[in-house]
Amino acid sequence: MTSLIETEINQQPEETDVVISVENVSKKFCRDLKRSLFYGIQDIATEVTGGKRKSDSLRKNEFWALNNVSFQLHRGEALGLVGSNGAGKSTILRIISGLIKPDTGTIKVKGRVAPLIALGAGFNPILSGRENIYANMSILGLSTAEIENRFEEVVAFAEIAEAIDAPVQTYSSGMAARLGFACAVHIEPDILLIDEVLAVGDVKFKMKCHRKLSELRKKGTAFILVTHNSHSILNICESSIYLKKGELLASGDTEKVIRKYEEDLCLSGKENALGRMVIPPKPKEKSNGLDIVSLCFKDEQNKTLDTLLTGEAAYLSVECKSYEDINNANLGMLVTALSGGEGLVLYLTSKGDNEELEIPVGKSEIRMYMPCCSMIPGVYSARIYIRSGVYSYDIVESFRFTVKTNITISRCQFYQPRKWQVISNQNETGMTNNYLI
Amino acid sequence: MKRNNRNKSKKYQQYEAIYTPESSLRHPVRLFKQMWLDLLSSRELAWRLLVRDISAQYRQSFLGIIWAFLPPIVMAAGFTLANQAKVINIGETDLPYPAYVMFSTALWQTFVEAINGPVKAVTVAKPMLARVNFPREALIVAKLGEVFFNFAIKLILIIALFIWFQVSITWTVILAPVALINLIFLGTFIGVLLSPLGVLYQDVSKGLTLITSFWLFLTPVVYPVPTEGVFGNLVKLNPVTPLLVTTRELATTGTISEPVGFWVVSIITIVGLFITWVGFRLAMPFVVERVSS
Repeated sequence: MTSLIETEINQQPEETDVVISVENVSKKFCRDLKRSLFYGIQDIATEVTGGKRKSDSLRKNEFWALNNVSFQLHRGEALGLVGSNGAGKSTILRIISGLIKPDTGTIKVKGRVAPLIALGAGFNPILSGRENIYANMSILGLSTAEIENRFEEVVAFAEIAEAIDAPVQTYSSGMAARLGFACAVHIEPDILLIDEVLAVGDVKFKMKCHRKLSELRKKGTAFILVTHNSHSILNICESSIYLKKGELLASGDTEKVIRKYEEDLCLSGKENALGRMVIPPKPKEKSNGLDIVSLCFKDEQNKTLDTLLTGEAAYLSVECKSYEDINNANLGMLVTALSGGEGLVLYLTSKGDNEELEIPVGKSEIRMYMPCCSMIPGVYSARIYIRSGVYSYDIVESFRFTVKTNITISRCQFYQPRKWQVISNQNETGMTNNYLI
Repeated sequence: MKRNNRNKSKKYQQYEAIYTPESSLRHPVRLFKQMWLDLLSSRELAWRLLVRDISAQYRQSFLGIIWAFLPPIVMAAGFTLANQAKVINIGETDLPYPAYVMFSTALWQTFVEAINGPVKAVTVAKPMLARVNFPREALIVAKLGEVFFNFAIKLILIIALFIWFQVSITWTVILAPVALINLIFLGTFIGVLLSPLGVLYQDVSKGLTLITSFWLFLTPVVYPVPTEGVFGNLVKLNPVTPLLVTTRELATTGTISEPVGFWVVSIITIVGLFITWVGFRLAMPFVVERVSS
C-alpha cells in the first residue's frame, strides 16, 4: 500500500517543489454492492499472492470513477478541484491520502497529509473534549509530546475552554465541528486536503478558519480544495482542475476552469459565455407572432461588447422579428448568478418601469440602457422574454454573459457608484475639495 | 518560525510515499521495512486508542470491572452445582473443581477476546479507516493491550481464588505468562486473519460467536483433558488445548503434560501471526475501498 522511500531533499533540488504528483491515475468502482464485495475479496486474494490484478480493464458492472488523471501540486500552492457529484473528487483525495490503491498510474506524495475530509475521526462521544483531542490528533499522526505542545492552541482555537472536560456528546454540533477542525489544522501538515468543510460553524468561526488557512499557506502548506462554491475557489486557488465523470476535462488557470465548469453546469452549454447570442430562426408556423433573433450587450458607441464592465454604461440589445404590430409589449429579464449562490440577481421588466413597447412588423431592436452596470464580476444567466399581458411571444431560457471589472469590488454584493469629497466646515469661504473616482 | 516548522516536520519531509497499483509483495524488503516502521510509529497511537477504549468502556458501565469476574464465577457456579448433583459426570481435576472451572474460563475468555478483538476493532473503526491513513497496526496492538488489561483484572480473581482454595503453586508460575502470551497470540492470529473479511461481510462476526461457543466444548475448560475416544482425539487436535492446558499447568502443578503439542502450536502461531499481519496490511486498502467513507 504505502511505500516510503528515503530521499534526501538536497539530492533532487528540482523535484523538491512538487509535493503531490499524480500520473495517469485511474480507479474503478462497482455499483452492485454484492459484486463489489466479491471483487474486493478477489483483489485481496490476488494482492496477497502477489499476482497481477489486471486492474486496467473493467469487470462486469464496473465503471471508471477516475480515468487517466494527471496533475501536480507544488509547495505552497492551492489547487481547486471542481466537478459535479460523482465526478471522482473524493476518490482522488482518498487515493492521495493513501487510503485506497490506484488501479493504474502512480502517485507520489511528499510530506504529511492532513485530510480535512476526516473532521473528528475517532471522536468518542463518551469521552471528554480533552481526551478526544489526544485521540484524534494521535490518529492524524502526532506524537504525544507534539500534541501537548499544541493543546492550548487547539482549545483556544476551538473556543471550547469551558467545556473541555465535558463529554463530547454534550457538545453542540457546532462545537464538535470546531473541535474537529481545530485538531486537523493544528497538526501543521505539509499538504491539506479540504473537502467541503469550510461550511463549519458560524460566520465568525468561518472567518477564523479562513485566516488560519491563509496563515498555513504562508508557511508553505499546499492545499487541495474541493467545493461547489466557485467564489471560495476563485478567492483561494490560482489553478484548478475540473473533473467530470472521472475524466480530467480542464486544468490550469482557475478562472478558465471555473468558466468551463459553469458552462457545463448550465444546460445550454453550447453557446459561448462571451458576446452575442444568435437564436436559430424558427419557421413562421412555430412562431407566436414575434421571435427574438439575437441578444447582446452594446456600448454607447453601438459596438457589441464581449463582456460587461462593472461601473460602465451599456445597452441590452434584443433584436427581434415580428409578424404583427404589437403596441404593448413587455420585455422581461431575470438574471441569476452562476458563480456563487444561485440567487436571482435582477428582475427587470419594461412593464414594471411603465414602458409600453411598440414593435412594428419586421425586424427591430429593443434596447435597454443601463447607465451603470452594478453587477459584480462573475458569470450570469439571463432569462429573457417578450410578452403582452399574459400572452407570451418568445422566451430565451438562458442568455449567458460575463461581467468583468477594472475596479476593486472586494466583498461587495453589487457595485455602488460613488464620489468622495471632504467638506471643511472651518473654512468660511466655503471651498470644497472634490475627489472623484 | 518557518525554519522551526521545517525542523519539526523534518522527519516526515524525508519520506516520499508512492502509491502504485502493483502488489506490495513485489518489493518485500520495502514492505517489511515499512511494516517495522509502522509498528514503531503505531505505539503511541495504540496507547491512545487503548486509553480511549478502556476509559469509555468503564465510564459507560455501572458495574465496571465486576463484568470481568462475573462470567467465570457464573460458569463455575453452574458447573459445580451440576457436578455435585451428578447431572454431569466430570472426572478428577488436579485443582478443586470450582477453581479449575474459574481459572480455565478466565483463560478461555481471554482467548476468545483475542479472536474477537481485531474483528471488532476494525469494524468499529470503519469510518476512521475510510478517512485517515494511520498505521493500521495500531488498532490490533490496542486491542491486544485491552486483552492483557482485561486479563490483569481477572488475575485479581484468580489470585483470590488460589488463596481461597489454598492451591499450591510452584516456581513454574513465572513461566506461565509465556504460555499465556502464546494463547493470546493464537487468538490474535485468527482474529487478524478474519478481520478484513469481517469488515466486508457480517457473516464473519456472526459465525465467530457460533464457532467459539462450540469450540468451548472441544476445549478442556469445564472438564479435564480426556484421554480416549473420538472426543479425546478431537480435543487433542484442538490447537487451544495444549496452550490452555500448559498455561494452567505452569501456574499450578508445574508438570507439563503436552510439551510437544505446546511447542508445535506456539511456533505455528508466531509464524502464522506474522504472515497474517502481512496479509492484513495488503488487504486493508481493498477493504477500505469497498466501505463508503
